[in-house]
Amino acid sequence: MGKRITVPFGSQHVALPEPVRFVFQTENEKIVDVEVDVGYVHRGIEKACATKFKYMQVGYVVARVCGLCAISHTLGYVTALERLMGVEVPKRALYLRLLVSELDRIHSHLLAMGHTAEVAGYENLFMQTFRHRELVMEMLELLTGNRVQFDFACPGGVNRDLTPEVEKVLREKLKVLEEKALWLRDVYENDFSLALRWKGTGVVTEEMAKEMNVVGPPARAAGLKTDVRAEFDYLPFKEVGYRMVVLKGGSIYERNLVRALEVLNSIEMCWNILDGLPEGDIKVPVKGLPEGEMFVRIEAPRGELFYYIRGSKKLILDRVRIRVPTFANIPVMKELFVGMDYADVPATVISFDPCLSCTAR
Amino acid sequence: MDFKKFRKRSPWILHYNTGSCNGCDIEILACLAPKYDVERFGILNRGNPKQSDILLVTGPVTKRAKERLLRLYFEMPEPKVVVAVGACACSGGVFRHMYNVENGVDKVIPVDVYVPGCAARPEAIIDGIVRALEILKEKGKEVELPHWCSAQVKPPVNRVKLLDRCLEELHGRR
Repeated sequence: MGKRITVPFGSQHVALPEPVRFVFQTENEKIVDVEVDVGYVHRGIEKACATKFKYMQVGYVVARVCGLCAISHTLGYVTALERLMGVEVPKRALYLRLLVSELDRIHSHLLAMGHTAEVAGYENLFMQTFRHRELVMEMLELLTGNRVQFDFACPGGVNRDLTPEVEKVLREKLKVLEEKALWLRDVYENDFSLALRWKGTGVVTEEMAKEMNVVGPPARAAGLKTDVRAEFDYLPFKEVGYRMVVLKGGSIYERNLVRALEVLNSIEMCWNILDGLPEGDIKVPVKGLPEGEMFVRIEAPRGELFYYIRGSKKLILDRVRIRVPTFANIPVMKELFVGMDYADVPATVISFDPCLSCTAR
Repeated sequence: MDFKKFRKRSPWILHYNTGSCNGCDIEILACLAPKYDVERFGILNRGNPKQSDILLVTGPVTKRAKERLLRLYFEMPEPKVVVAVGACACSGGVFRHMYNVENGVDKVIPVDVYVPGCAARPEAIIDGIVRALEILKEKGKEVELPHWCSAQVKPPVNRVKLLDRCLEELHGRR
């Protein structure tokens, strides 16, 4: 037994795109204790939503909670608001929202997969994944007008329609993307050195996942059948060919494989949406003031996202509460680290795809 | 040997997120990836402040990130350039006047290049970096202090003492 050594990881670290701080107590290579600090990026968005912004503006503010799953946050808020005020959203708008939300999921999953590959020391695969991710970004830009912060969904519908010219280009790009995604799935499934590095590292068992309330791809990789898309009816997922991807194992390898398979499923859904897009309006006016309370659950790329709003016939809401997926995944991360080699830590952290700006808000 | 000529051929980047929404951060990552590829300017992303020349800051600077940002800034050797990426790094953006933010990077450290946009497009970020390279070429070795700091510096500079002095003033201001 060696002496205890304290190893700080973050807040600024090359493996982390955002500030989170882990302080590890290690004995030789083994970690014996860990402290997590996630509060570096707290900005006070929930407070501002309840004091500064009107209820029609809040959708654009909560989009800035997180740039990776921007559509999920807006979607959560506008769905809650529409249900609270009894607005009937046109079918075409729902389908367009679904299209953007699936494209967003693809780009977020590809980012997470690429990042894990980079942290495992496989820079070539990181570059390849990011190259194919650019296709999705181009599609999103064509569809919504911006690469990252779309502001696509708004209370009552969507802000921008899909024109036939754009649809044609989308179909072409989707075809290329499908090929590339199949190739990526093949690499992440069958690459010998990646499997050697990832299989059996950072294992979350099914009991652990159940007990610690893990959400999103890490839970599905552990064999837990949980997906808000199947459990909560907020968009017509069942009509466009949604399948739940569940694997057994729960190590980094399975987490990435779940992501790769979900990307393929999302592409399939995008094809179905483009084929069966209903005609009609994209927006209905929203009138009146919100009164009462409502909660909504959304499947963000990282897992279950929970929105609660309360209003009392005023322009400014009383309360907006956001519970994000990464926050639910942090306890299990802490549990995993104890007894693990320090060298496996960056890959494990990134394989959970933590989003700290969501967590701290 | 005159290093000034070669300085702008291989600038290294330090990237720090001070509370942005990740949008600008993934655009910076996209810049490093194949399609936009800033590596053709000799730019590499390194996590070490002591080897970096360009500090890319995203986010409106939260109260907790403020001290880290100042620390990173002082750890970088001169000459260095600070690029504020995104609307919230330039002025606070949508987060302006929320209770935990400082309304922009230039409230804490001197900024040389502002890149607008929410989120800043990769093309804009590359343009900002290329402008930063020109500024880097002209800059000398003298230490730049934040506008709110009243410390006097004479070479040779003791960075540790200077940082302590600045942090004291920063906390005194609160």
